[in-house]
Amino acid sequence: MVIFRRFESAIDQGIGRRKLGYLVIALIIAFFLWFPNDTSQSNYAKTVFISGFFYAIMSSSWALLAGIAGQFSFGHMAFMGIGAYVAGLIARDGITFALLGVNISPESISAIGSIIIGTAAAGAVGLVIGWLLLRLRAAYLALFTIAFSELFRIMMLTEYDYTGGSNGLSLRPLLQIADVDAARQVEYYLMFALLIVCLLALYWVANSPIGLFLRAMREDEDAASALGVNVVRYKILVFVFTSMIVGFAGAIFYSDVGSERIIPEQLEILQMSLIIAYAVIGGMESLIGAAAGAFISRYLLEAVRQVVITLPFGLTTHDGSDAFVWDTGYWRYALFGVVMVFTLRYMRNGLLYPIITWFSGRDIAMKETVSRRESDDEHAARIEADDE
Amino acid sequence: MSELHLELNKVSKRFGGLQAVDHVSFSVTKPELIGMIGPNGAGKTTLTNLMSGMLKPSSGTIYLNGRRIDGYPPYDVTRAGLGRTFQITRALGRMTVMENMMVPGLAHNPRASRAELEARAHEILTLLTIDHLTNELSRALSGGQRKLLELGRLLMLDPAVIILDEPFAGVHPRLQDTITNYINRVHENGKAIMFISHNMGAVFELSQRLIVLHHGAVIADGAPQTVRNDPAVIDAYLGHDEED
Repeated sequence: MVIFRRFESAIDQGIGRRKLGYLVIALIIAFFLWFPNDTSQSNYAKTVFISGFFYAIMSSSWALLAGIAGQFSFGHMAFMGIGAYVAGLIARDGITFALLGVNISPESISAIGSIIIGTAAAGAVGLVIGWLLLRLRAAYLALFTIAFSELFRIMMLTEYDYTGGSNGLSLRPLLQIADVDAARQVEYYLMFALLIVCLLALYWVANSPIGLFLRAMREDEDAASALGVNVVRYKILVFVFTSMIVGFAGAIFYSDVGSERIIPEQLEILQMSLIIAYAVIGGMESLIGAAAGAFISRYLLEAVRQVVITLPFGLTTHDGSDAFVWDTGYWRYALFGVVMVFTLRYMRNGLLYPIITWFSGRDIAMKETVSRRESDDEHAARIEADDE
Repeated sequence: MSELHLELNKVSKRFGGLQAVDHVSFSVTKPELIGMIGPNGAGKTTLTNLMSGMLKPSSGTIYLNGRRIDGYPPYDVTRAGLGRTFQITRALGRMTVMENMMVPGLAHNPRASRAELEARAHEILTLLTIDHLTNELSRALSGGQRKLLELGRLLMLDPAVIILDEPFAGVHPRLQDTITNYINRVHENGKAIMFISHNMGAVFELSQRLIVLHHGAVIADGAPQTVRNDPAVIDAYLGHDEED
């Protein structure tokens, strides 16, 4: 503890916490840029990282929606699915706007074009859902979005003639690279760039006046409205914005970048619960906390798929070995559940919150103001003293 | 001075079988200090909610500066120039005092620079004697300090009409002086202030005009001394002297 205090003091007097934080972020980015160039890493490791980037986008955008704007939605995976399914269907079947007399054939649409249309579709559905949710709060909002999410999943499962049902739907591949290793490398950088772009966009919103209004709505929608915040506009806006982000990420990820097909199983409540759990563990009121929580959790969940257990005290297994491999299967999710229970009970702002707070220097400001906090009586006495 | 004309025409609100507000009509055309009193359940807060857009009237109309505002959402009513506080303070708990001030500041003046708004907010917090709490989360504030913060937020909106719902309730007597100073100062700047209170001392000391509600209806509206002696008011609310 004494060593930490000395370290803290040296940082405060030297480079400063915020600058050190930027340095740490720069080092983390440098690590991710270097990682695929490490020849000792397998394509599987890169695949795990790509999946981690995708889930980091999902969790951080959910953190904006639920942690910052207070809209506890379970529809996030459904919006992601809308982006991916629409992109896939458009690329395969084209689209006809009968009223406008416009017919877009599959041949005339590129993979990018289908992704853009998928993103727009996710945003359009987000607009409708946001509007329908205007009068719903808390548990009712959550229940509505669960119902919407399940409705969409069942539609995708049932309409197998169009969507491929449980076999899923293949999207048009975004990248056409024959060499597997080179393709994995490009896919890695693409998803990493997408994560950075999405995080920057989310940060821009969170730190703009819109972010301030969203937080005000989270705290008290009526009070925010009485203070002049157009709660209708911002509630719909946050749904449209986050829906487009996850729709875009989903359409890219399933365009053979992270996965070769979107399946309805991905839209199950369990998957949505994992997105929420990643955000809660990392810190649902912090975009970077939620993103880091998702990435680290995905990595650890993969890392503990198989655990080698060495037996103590000279014990052996039935075949005489002093170690065995435990296929953790769903048990790893149980372990994950324990971490979540611990987080919710003891660190409600997420496991990474103390670190983020330390780097931002917010804990210094809090200490200063807490020491200056006073009761009404003390406050009145001070005013009296000032008057004299 | 900004335009000022608030007019309520036969405003009523019914909740099922309960007539909470019953054909209330009055107007505010100059920067007055108006006290609104009435027994518990008289409809004071419901009327405030109707004026501020929190509730939609069952019938009747409300105009503010020529614009019909009944049934408008609260943010539109606020922008039209009517601001309010709440009986139970509604500070934005996990936001700092400065952020609480910036929300109405930016909502009202989206094009103003943050530095300019922060300077204005600091000025108001100093007036309200809570400038030392600028970076404090508002949930850490005491009840009285939250009342002061709510008053401060209103000034960031610069409304023509201000409705204060029980500004003195549960506040230390010394802080009540701060609130009284605030009310007088804001009034001097040309605002109409309507305040609901059960604190009769403050009501009679501050008010230039008194509106008395009973069973949702206005039973008296006039100068405090006239209202004080109104038999209907005495009967409904103030009570009789023991020797009577």
